[in-house]
Amino acid sequence: MSKANIPAGRYQSGRYQSDRPWSAITWVAWALAAAATIQLAPNPVYVVLVIAITWLVVVEHGLDGPYAKAFPILVGAAVFFAVLRIVLIGLTTHGNQDVLFTTPSFTMPEMLGGFTVGGATTAPVLLQAGAEGLVIVGIIAVFAAFNAVVSHYELIQTTPRAFYELGLIVIVALCFVPSTIEAIRDVREADRARTGGQTVRRGRLVRQVIPVLERGLEKAITLAESLDSRGFAHSGATARARGAGWIGLVALIALGSSFTALVARENTVAIVLGGIGVIGILFAIAIASKETGRIRYRPRSLTIADRSCIAICLLAPILIIVLSIAGDNTLTWTPSPVRWPAFDILPALALIALLAPLTRRPITNASAISEFNLSDEDSVLAVGHSDKVALP
Amino acid sequence: MNAISYRQVSFSYPDGPTALNEVNLEVIAGEVLLVVGSSGSGKSTLLRAANGLVPHATGGRFGGDVVIFGRSTISHHPRELADVVGFVSQDPEAQLVVDEVEHDIAFVLENLGLSATAMRRRVEETLDALGIAHLRYRAPMTLSGGERQRVAIAGALAAAPSALVLDEPTSQLDPQGAEDVLAAIARLNSDLGTTVLLAEHRLERAAPLADRAVVLSSDGIPTPCAVADALATYPGAPPVTRLGRLLGWDPLPLTVRDARARAAENSLPFATNIETNSRESSRGGQTLVAAESLSVELSGREVLHRVDVSIGAGEVVALLGRNGAGKTTLLRAFAGLNSASHGRVNPTGTVAYVPQDPSTLLFSPTVRREIAETLKLLGRRDAGEVDAWLDRLGISHLAERHPRSLSGGERQRVAIAAVAVGGADVLLLDEPTRGMDALSRTALERAVQEHAAEGGAVVLATHDVELAARCASRVVVLGDGDVIAEGEARIVLAGSLFAPQVLRVMPPFLTVEQVNHELEGV
Repeated sequence: MSKANIPAGRYQSGRYQSDRPWSAITWVAWALAAAATIQLAPNPVYVVLVIAITWLVVVEHGLDGPYAKAFPILVGAAVFFAVLRIVLIGLTTHGNQDVLFTTPSFTMPEMLGGFTVGGATTAPVLLQAGAEGLVIVGIIAVFAAFNAVVSHYELIQTTPRAFYELGLIVIVALCFVPSTIEAIRDVREADRARTGGQTVRRGRLVRQVIPVLERGLEKAITLAESLDSRGFAHSGATARARGAGWIGLVALIALGSSFTALVARENTVAIVLGGIGVIGILFAIAIASKETGRIRYRPRSLTIADRSCIAICLLAPILIIVLSIAGDNTLTWTPSPVRWPAFDILPALALIALLAPLTRRPITNASAISEFNLSDEDSVLAVGHSDKVALP
Repeated sequence: MNAISYRQVSFSYPDGPTALNEVNLEVIAGEVLLVVGSSGSGKSTLLRAANGLVPHATGGRFGGDVVIFGRSTISHHPRELADVVGFVSQDPEAQLVVDEVEHDIAFVLENLGLSATAMRRRVEETLDALGIAHLRYRAPMTLSGGERQRVAIAGALAAAPSALVLDEPTSQLDPQGAEDVLAAIARLNSDLGTTVLLAEHRLERAAPLADRAVVLSSDGIPTPCAVADALATYPGAPPVTRLGRLLGWDPLPLTVRDARARAAENSLPFATNIETNSRESSRGGQTLVAAESLSVELSGREVLHRVDVSIGAGEVVALLGRNGAGKTTLLRAFAGLNSASHGRVNPTGTVAYVPQDPSTLLFSPTVRREIAETLKLLGRRDAGEVDAWLDRLGISHLAERHPRSLSGGERQRVAIAAVAVGGADVLLLDEPTRGMDALSRTALERAVQEHAAEGGAVVLATHDVELAARCASRVVVLGDGDVIAEGEARIVLAGSLFAPQVLRVMPPFLTVEQVNHELEGV
């Protein structure tokens, strides 16, 4: 398909066209709004609603890649740690109202904290721990959803140019987390298949961990070679860039000193040092960005749709704040005395604003074919089956 | 004019043997130079030295110099050579950095600091040169292997390098993917005059592209020569070339078209319409595993639909079909790794499965211990069995090597030995010849046939029709989850566009060995 045949209906941002309807900045705004909403309205009912919204967003906008596959795994891990937290708090926090059950107890030595493990476990403590755990699950779900839907490369393209190389390294490194999860599955299956389906537990950890680590290392080496061969970090650091590094270091020291001065209640010194630190960092970023000489290829700018989506998403936490000021007492929940979490329609309506990204759909390969009426050959290629092996 | 000059280049990896030994080689500007040699002969090392990955990324002892378009790799890092040489490795997945094709192609241009307009033009030209403009907005994860590899080549080509170095770029691709990639390389060379240094095992397609070849001996010494001369004695030569060698044709054919012309010119000492003594298509003995009206769903999609396939003792069955046709799913169902949504898998013997990627299995410090580990897991200890499989797969000389230090083909054989030594009746091998050189393939084929002859059965999921022609007693072709053809290899493969080369030149023979057998009978 030649340039002239590029489907005209793709999402356009200036001269940039994409299958993805929302820019990385829009997704940043959505994630911040969702996380802030959870923090502002930690009532379990509303948190569950936000988690459901994140799930819908991932289903609709999840990109093809390891991050989208990692969404249920990250949420599952968050649930595991939330449950663990409930157990630990239930064992170590005691009360005398609404006792559910009593377990044998012992008190730790003074040098280990002197707290009591076991004893009476009460419903309010467990419910409070559960509600707090749900908030953690919600925040992790938002983080996982953000990673599943955002183009990480587009994200670092939106940061100052000085952060580009560091950002790329971080993204590539983070990408190994979900791909390692896939590798673990493959290695476990291979281990089982090796013995004709017989599961041998003895030594299984070594048999499975080593291939996973070695595979990861081999991929990392190949990727490093590819980056090197494609001119990554080609220009090296100039004298001015090194100077910017030193300015950044001094600015960070100033910020650290400012914090120390704040603790020591030397407010004037803290303000001066803080100001120097912030200005120094901005200055260093500006110099380093100019020195990179990197020009971005077709950067994506915010469209009217992006700006509208950001505005609608930000409405959710703003409305929650307004409701909080207006005295809506359903936003938070305390389980003492034990009772069901309250629910009000207004906060729930505010949360609907977080569904704004669902107003546009990504152009999937299949819909691209029907929507833009590509040729048969293109259609075959577009759905990833270019391998037209003609066999009888 | 020389594009790349290797001057007295010697190299050995840290704590490793000598990989290159005083290599002197000139790559002429604008030519396609094919590098051939057995696994471990130093092909990858020779190629990696062209853009300085050896020694800058590998370490090791390096002597001599490589000069590429006037720049020495000693004084220039690979990143400083990105504008004159593009490098593509065999694993397309590991080379793509950015999550959108167009931006991945632009990656090198951004690194080199080109202006926005220059980048735009280069990207458009590169998309057209590789024929991938329709993929520009796609995520690399969603592409087929051939498409990904073409994107990887585009990523290397965008900087308009004068030379392109490709290390077995088609080794992980199906026939059509390999065809697409090699066609793109040929177009770059003829249209843009790009110098190409190419290492390949699949010589059936790569040999006709090359202007010259260089054969690497096992001690890392290259001998440049004409392609036909290089293949005259090379064991991994394309079947038509080996056929020409057998029948004394001169010059040796490199393509099916050449071979047909030679066959028409030269009278054969036997008739070609005779019935060959090829392997019988009859089903094997007792059924060891059977799929009975088997359907398998993955992610809500029916990948296999009411498939009936039974595998009998003494059989070697080749599963053919395009990517996504259901070959791996059927193998995994036989192995109990995929559950049936309809029908069932009925195993009456033991079944073991070797996955496509052998590195999922390997964890021991030596090849011998890797193979012995399976016996240990099964509660058996018999060094004789380990030695037998080392010998059977031709890897006895690698017994004390670390499995991860081996080439792809060697690793594959170690993984097969490590699974087969368990004594399962049915061996399921998924793309077993991927990245294998000719000697490795021969050893594998021998081991497969010996296992079947001893009353076992082997199922090969493969794109390699030559392997199916040489090994299989029966071929099953899958298409979109259905069995679309099943029967004797000669009959099933005869009507295919991708039939074995010998069958296309001299039907009904499938292999050079069958022709040789017929000659001996004359």
